[in-house]
Amino acid sequence: MNSFWGKLLVVDLTNKKIETRRIPEQWVELYSGQKGLGTRILMEDFSPGTDPLSPENRMVLATSIMAGTIVSSSSKLAIISKSPQTGTISDGSVGGHIGAELKYAGYDAVMITGKADSLSYLYIDPDKAQIRSADEIKGMGTFKADETLKAMIGDDQVKILINGPAGENLVPFSCICSERYRQLGRGGMGAVMGSKNLKAIAIRGWLDVNVPDIEACMEIVEHIHQKDKITSSDNIMYTDGTPALVEYCQDSGLFPTRNFQEGTFTAYKNIRSNKFKEIRTQKKACFSCGIACGNYVKTKTNVVEGPEYETIAMGGSCIGNSDHEKIVDFNVFCDNLGLDTISTGGVIAYMMEMTEKGIHDFGIKFGETDKALELVKQIAVKEGPGAEAALGVKALSEKYGGREFAIQVKGMELPGYDPRGSWGMGISYATAPRGGCHMSAYPIEKEAWGKIDPFTFKGKAQLVAKLQNDQFAKFSMGVCDFWPINSKTLGRLFEVTYGGQWSAEKVEKTGERIFNLQRIFNIMAGFSKAQDTLPERFHKEVLKDGPPKDILMPKQDFSKALEEYYAFRGWDNDGRPTKKKLMDLGIEDKLIQAYQQTVDGISKTKIK
Amino acid sequence: MPLMFKKSLCTGCKLCQLACSATHEKAFNPEKARIKITHEYREDGIHVTSKHCTFCKKCEAACPEGAISNNGVNMIVDRDKCIGCATCVETCPTQIIFIDVNHKSVICDLCGGLPKCVQWCPKGAISLFIKKKAVA
Repeated sequence: MNSFWGKLLVVDLTNKKIETRRIPEQWVELYSGQKGLGTRILMEDFSPGTDPLSPENRMVLATSIMAGTIVSSSSKLAIISKSPQTGTISDGSVGGHIGAELKYAGYDAVMITGKADSLSYLYIDPDKAQIRSADEIKGMGTFKADETLKAMIGDDQVKILINGPAGENLVPFSCICSERYRQLGRGGMGAVMGSKNLKAIAIRGWLDVNVPDIEACMEIVEHIHQKDKITSSDNIMYTDGTPALVEYCQDSGLFPTRNFQEGTFTAYKNIRSNKFKEIRTQKKACFSCGIACGNYVKTKTNVVEGPEYETIAMGGSCIGNSDHEKIVDFNVFCDNLGLDTISTGGVIAYMMEMTEKGIHDFGIKFGETDKALELVKQIAVKEGPGAEAALGVKALSEKYGGREFAIQVKGMELPGYDPRGSWGMGISYATAPRGGCHMSAYPIEKEAWGKIDPFTFKGKAQLVAKLQNDQFAKFSMGVCDFWPINSKTLGRLFEVTYGGQWSAEKVEKTGERIFNLQRIFNIMAGFSKAQDTLPERFHKEVLKDGPPKDILMPKQDFSKALEEYYAFRGWDNDGRPTKKKLMDLGIEDKLIQAYQQTVDGISKTKIK
Repeated sequence: MPLMFKKSLCTGCKLCQLACSATHEKAFNPEKARIKITHEYREDGIHVTSKHCTFCKKCEAACPEGAISNNGVNMIVDRDKCIGCATCVETCPTQIIFIDVNHKSVICDLCGGLPKCVQWCPKGAISLFIKKKAVA
């Protein structure tokens, strides 16, 4: 049975040493796969205080148990590392085919440490793993580098993770690209790769993936796909994909506009889903996915798979751009240079507001999209104003001011949802282990588009904690965000691909365990309650339009909700998981001990 | 009665290949499927290709052992007669035939009537082409 190989490929770039290690079966029981397993692998004999850009930092690529099987949308690959953008744990993931490819190559995970003495790429297939020279593709954009590397390897079916110029230049919000338009966007993983002198990771696999009973597996998976209407042609993720969210967010008044000064965009009709459908030529799916959310679009000047909602929000309304074709340009530039579209849009929006308010002249104002596109290129090479922008919103605001509208949490720029239109999202942003991201929980669905009052913190602590646990289980066990799956079904899929008994309770507890594991990583890295905050703008200013109009989200209410959240999670008043909680969750003793030493150290420091 | 493939409907998910290898080889392995789709981005846009048995019967004519026949609908490999010489592999114009671990030729048999690739394709990109018989 090799939906789990039990194999970790360990690559030491400094000493050019490659070896295979066993992954304990117990880790699958506790943390399943992908980001859960990857987090556990990262934390083995690792100091969370490690400098993220030092050779000592690790990049752990982890695939899910279900990857490579016929379960829909199950082949995302996660990279777990310490983030140079936030200093927290980072657990971004990328779609496409590469997660399955790693499984077919005979590994569940790859851990990369050290720093190569010259620009290199890593090649992995079932027979060999090699560190090879990447001099030929140095400084090359991701599109051309991907094609060139395929030609160098002499195999057009190889799947590649490629770093762009931004990552080579250590931009803290640089992303890693795969198959041209699939990005591991958040947390600055491109910079970690860059710091290791690693330009690419090329993977090719051809091994069988077996499950306990393949006939039963096929039958049950087929039934589940039908029950959950995964392949339905009227699934909005198929008909529209994420651009459908533009109208939802606009109607809910949480569509970030002009650096989150407003929650509605007057020109939203120019950048809504229909505009992109008009220029769409094809639909595209990731490996084994029956949904196919991807949209391949063509404009006069560019082609892209995208843009996704976040890119539309951050490269559109948030910078005052109402030209959908220029959003495509923004998307293409970011992908090719290896920049996270969310953070890139966020930092440009902040600079625009700073300039308009006269606090500091960055030479760019809202709506000046051509200048913004030029700035994107400059960020990647850290030239001119791009060198400033490459610091990110947090560092820029510490240098030049405007902190109350520096729209970031723990150094990560926020994605396309204003939390004043969905207060639960505020708690989620503040407590997400990797900072201001939308993947930790998505209460918007239940608040802004559901039956729960968006404009109160009542009951939100519990709601967000539960949603986070579910989300962490879902990603770790292996299903993409766009399958609204319940814990029972998820457990059933895990049973038929891995084995054992996975009840809904066990699935939810797995999610909670992984969430806590990442929390203790962050605490050991020096984080505390003090960083579980939101930008001041959200507490001091009200939105002027849409459902959140004139409703203030007071800071004291938020702080109280946060206390409730900690209590519900079984954490102390400073937001630290208690030893009892960690033991109840079954987290291993040696991790609890290491954590306890940090907590005791913090307490002593306080007494002094 | 070959399979029909409609490029414009394909999303490149490879569920067809997974269903094929699971059914015939009892493992998930797109490399061991009897239909192979590529769906990739290149410099000039999206490229979609499909390799699957077109029922051209050239393998049958070429087989030195007489191990390949057809039933009017699909090809049939007699695994007792097959010696794994790969003449069929070399002859196949679509290059979809391969030799398995037991050194036997592997050719699409349409799953005996209801092909799993057709059944699993989420977007209806694969179908069975049924030729109407001329009525005398």
